[in-house]
Amino acid sequence: MYLVLKILLLAALVLHAAAQTPDAQFFESEVRPILRANCWGCHSEANTTSGLSLQTRESILRGGNRGPAAAILLDATRHVGDLKMPPGKKLNEAQLATLEKWVNAGLPMPEGLLKSKRPGLNHWAYQPVRRPALPEVSNGSWVRNPIDRFILARLEAARIAPAPEAGRVALLRRLSLDLTGLPPTMAELKAFLADSSPNAYEKQVDRLLASPHYGERWGRHWLDVAHYADSDGYTIDSPRDIWMYRDWVIDAVNRDMPFDRFVIEQFAGDLLPEPTTSQLIATGFHRNTTSNFEGGIDFEQYRVEAVADRLATTGAAFLGLTVGCARCHDHKYDPISQREYYQLFAYLNNTDEVDKEADRKLFNKPFLELGTDAEKAEFAVWQQKIIVAEERMRKRLETYSGDPKKDETLVNIEKELSLLRANKPKLPRTMIMRDLPAPRPAYIHLMGDFTRKGSPVSPGTPSFLPFPKNKAGTRLALAEWLMDPEHPLTSRVTVNRIWQTYFGRGIVETENDFGTQGDKPTHPELLDWLALEFREKGWSQKALHRLIVTSAAYRQSSNLRSEDPENKLFSRQNRLRLDAESIRDASLVASGLLAPKVGGPSVYPPLPAGVYQVTQVRREWKTSTGEDRYRRGMYTFFQRSAPHPSLVVFDAPDSTIACTRRNRSNTPLQALTQLNDEGAYEWAEALARRMTAAASSDEDRLSTGFELALNRQPRPEESTRLLRFVRQQRDSQLDPWPSVARALLNLDEFLTRP
Amino acid sequence: MTHPLLLQTRRHFFRSSALSLAASYLNAASARHHEARIDHVIYLFQAGGPSQLELFDYKPVLARYDQQTAPPELLKGKRFAFMDTFSKEPPKMLGPRRTFQQAGSSGMHFSDLLPNIASVADELTMFHGVATDNFNHGPAKLFMNTGSVRAGRPSIGSWVTYGLGSESKDLPGFVVLQSGPRGPRSGAQLWSSGFLPTSFQGVPFRNTGDPILNLSTPKAVTPAQQRQTIDLIGDLNQLERQRTGDTEVDTRIAQYEMAFRMQTSGPELINFGQESQATLDMYGAKPGQPEHAFANNCLLARRLVERGVRFVQLYHTDWDHHDDLTKPLEQVTREVDQATAALIRDLKQRGLLDRTLVIWGGEFGRTPMGEVREKGKVGRNHHIDAYSLFMAGGGLKRGTIVGGTDELGFSPAHSPIHVHDIQATLLHLLGIDHKKLTFRYQGRDFRLTDVAGEIVHKALV
Repeated sequence: MYLVLKILLLAALVLHAAAQTPDAQFFESEVRPILRANCWGCHSEANTTSGLSLQTRESILRGGNRGPAAAILLDATRHVGDLKMPPGKKLNEAQLATLEKWVNAGLPMPEGLLKSKRPGLNHWAYQPVRRPALPEVSNGSWVRNPIDRFILARLEAARIAPAPEAGRVALLRRLSLDLTGLPPTMAELKAFLADSSPNAYEKQVDRLLASPHYGERWGRHWLDVAHYADSDGYTIDSPRDIWMYRDWVIDAVNRDMPFDRFVIEQFAGDLLPEPTTSQLIATGFHRNTTSNFEGGIDFEQYRVEAVADRLATTGAAFLGLTVGCARCHDHKYDPISQREYYQLFAYLNNTDEVDKEADRKLFNKPFLELGTDAEKAEFAVWQQKIIVAEERMRKRLETYSGDPKKDETLVNIEKELSLLRANKPKLPRTMIMRDLPAPRPAYIHLMGDFTRKGSPVSPGTPSFLPFPKNKAGTRLALAEWLMDPEHPLTSRVTVNRIWQTYFGRGIVETENDFGTQGDKPTHPELLDWLALEFREKGWSQKALHRLIVTSAAYRQSSNLRSEDPENKLFSRQNRLRLDAESIRDASLVASGLLAPKVGGPSVYPPLPAGVYQVTQVRREWKTSTGEDRYRRGMYTFFQRSAPHPSLVVFDAPDSTIACTRRNRSNTPLQALTQLNDEGAYEWAEALARRMTAAASSDEDRLSTGFELALNRQPRPEESTRLLRFVRQQRDSQLDPWPSVARALLNLDEFLTRP
Repeated sequence: MTHPLLLQTRRHFFRSSALSLAASYLNAASARHHEARIDHVIYLFQAGGPSQLELFDYKPVLARYDQQTAPPELLKGKRFAFMDTFSKEPPKMLGPRRTFQQAGSSGMHFSDLLPNIASVADELTMFHGVATDNFNHGPAKLFMNTGSVRAGRPSIGSWVTYGLGSESKDLPGFVVLQSGPRGPRSGAQLWSSGFLPTSFQGVPFRNTGDPILNLSTPKAVTPAQQRQTIDLIGDLNQLERQRTGDTEVDTRIAQYEMAFRMQTSGPELINFGQESQATLDMYGAKPGQPEHAFANNCLLARRLVERGVRFVQLYHTDWDHHDDLTKPLEQVTREVDQATAALIRDLKQRGLLDRTLVIWGGEFGRTPMGEVREKGKVGRNHHIDAYSLFMAGGGLKRGTIVGGTDELGFSPAHSPIHVHDIQATLLHLLGIDHKKLTFRYQGRDFRLTDVAGEIVHKALV
């Protein structure tokens, strides 16, 4: 029978070759429904059970583990022989006859059946980045650098003139806040105003790019993407050791590490030849995933979640693609199949992290331990004591139902724990990536369910993008692929995100979706030009920043204009409410309290009582004293289940997933925070002291306050209104200055980047 | 009364103007897809997994199998929490540990632990055989609240206030109240607005001090000074508005005014002075006493709804009875039974129950098999296939039992009611089509019910 069929089949194939797809319509209307309902669940490109896909003509002819499949298909469906398909059921006679007719006709099916189902292959973002010609413009005198040609050409086409340049005060305030997250001091401003040289502005750009605070500011933007936090998340949400990674980022940004190096070290520093300590610390990037240590869990489930998160972060940060959509099924809008999702997954699947109950006590392994052997031993003993005490507490809490504060056992365990925690032996360590000796087998997870393993997969990149030159299938190969000069996405996505930070909106508004469902770029040539500049100037982030902030486009006034109300053409700058951390930082600068120290373990500024109680395990927030009370907002200890409210209320990301753009909400809770928070009032009092110390007349004090908070003198109508307020307070026997200072720190102008 | 376009506009608005997410807080425009049966939700979240087999789902047959080893076919292919210890030896079936009585015209069952809730049986719609996806507390709580086991999605209260806005001019639209010995697992992620603007985030009220963080003026500042300062800020901001033309400044001025109103309405809200002694007694409320926190919060929930707050969520811990179904269970039911019944009764007598949904339940239920962690004591493990919760309020068939479980209480008797179905039903009552309330994020239109959810029509009038 086989032989006969094979001969028939060969004959049919010859015929078929002569007449390409003689009956594709027959396939669509008759065959496809049978295959879809009965076969493709297990034998598709995404899920090749027994090595077999029945989704393309080539794959049927090639066959699976049992060899070429056309004849087998007929036997198995007719239940002839040992193989009976579909499992537990038999097709009806009509269906069997259809299949036979189809096989005997030489398997006519549309060419590229799958390719035609892969949407968006011709989408703009997947095409190579090309250097566009610089557009011609009429008003050449406005142009400061090539960016302006692209912006101006569109404006001239729309017959809109660019906005005038912002005033010098606004310019320096904008530049300082954008490059360092801090407003300028009066001394800095005066130096700038006094500098009449033609490159006075550029000198300020260089000064700010050389400031260590530049690394803090742009490091923090990157940490949003990395979704850095100081605790594990989920139920137990223990503190974790990873601040060294945060400091690595600040340092790398300050040193202007080329972006390709920056990415490769974070992705796979451990896989570089003889990695340095610094390169190992860098791999904390992919350890910012949340980890679950709740009792009774299946660790493998949460390990898989962490890998999926790594992949989602990679997608959002570099590819600008919603790869996560392909976790359960082929992507509906972009050409990523479920199989390709798990091929990418396979690159990131090999970390030696906890995947079973027996390893629970290894916590967030792997770590980079930086102490001596004796220190390590002492630390291990300490850690064991904590584990035992916490376990006792957990057991007790589960059995005890009264008020925990009144239970002697619990109180004693608490005491013991806080004593232990207070005496934590110094052992610097930080979470890193380290692979298992042999890769973990990776599979397609049917419907995204980690308990339902489909076909095995090996590392691979989506076929619509350039193939990796390094075929090793390691994280390093993946990182090198991302940074490959031919990769169309990484450079575009990165320059777009940086542009977005300066203008409030990207050239592609959907900064994390460059796929077919995302927005198209408003200035596609500019995007490509910037992407190429970035790459060809050695991936220098500082060079890119300098390019953008020295453009005339960046230097425009942000006042609203009716010509382009949504500012789609960048016909002006945008006013941007400061980020959560910058509101704190700017307040500390105005009040003279800021401790400018860079880096180190996270700190504990005052926290309103009761906030920390929402966490399941009661922990103590030991408020920092001394300079740590006045550190920049980015150093505030970030507890995922109870982040500091002053950060959350101003839209700091919750750090559970990659954040590529922060919201900028405007709520009454923000007003309550900046008006009434204990910390905010302390800032106002300190600013008031500076105002009264600097001058004795009301007018002079007001102008000092304005200079310190807003970098300018009050206008006459403002002075009039403020002096009325001062008199009002004196009439009520109240000291007016703390209230004046408080008002200044609450002004829209103070909270907004001009 | 169909306004899907309005929703569309709203979505577009949020997407297109990342620079101005402000108006949302003030915008109370209703964007309903169909006529709403209710305007408010009070969600009494019982954190930890209440044992339906000791409370609502009476299984006399299970008693007959008490202490018999669970048949392997029952457990085949099932996954449980604490797998390594729980199923090291096959667990034994455990009969109901409480006595049950029927109440109301439907003959609804309640154990002796819930005499007060039993007394309002005719107001309740009881759901048996509810199924969820994850057997660990944190993820399961996230699932119930956000439709996903991973943090990062908007919570149900955020979705509702995003879709409908708030009716209150001086209180947040979504308020979270907490009681019990510890905070709920997963913490603030349970009332996070996820990728929705943070103005839709649940605002946790505090049991001590100010109900809302930073609601009190600093000690050194007098009330008059606060008013004058906000006036000053407003006037100076007005000048800024004229100079820049930026409408965002208008929003900021309005938010400072609302903050000031909240400073007045907040203390008034938590002051129970105007409540009669009879009302306080009915709830068992004692302001300022932590042991009465759940009762206090139930009364506060009614006051919030009276003032137009859209979504109030109470969390009460802890119901995680792995190793003892006696005293700890008696304690927690004593804490919630009276106040839950009082809330329903009180809403009814004030005419609010018709426009409010009260929902009572946890993240999962407990196994018909016993769990022994300590000699001489027995509890139950987490069970996700068939648990119970109840609702009361507008649009529901009152005094009705929906769904059911098999004789052992292990599986739903018919088709299960999934958590996504409960979420779809809740939105439906509010006039929202769960398939249409979406938000585009990272290229995908997300919804509370993910890609699932069927309205439980059997529960509806």
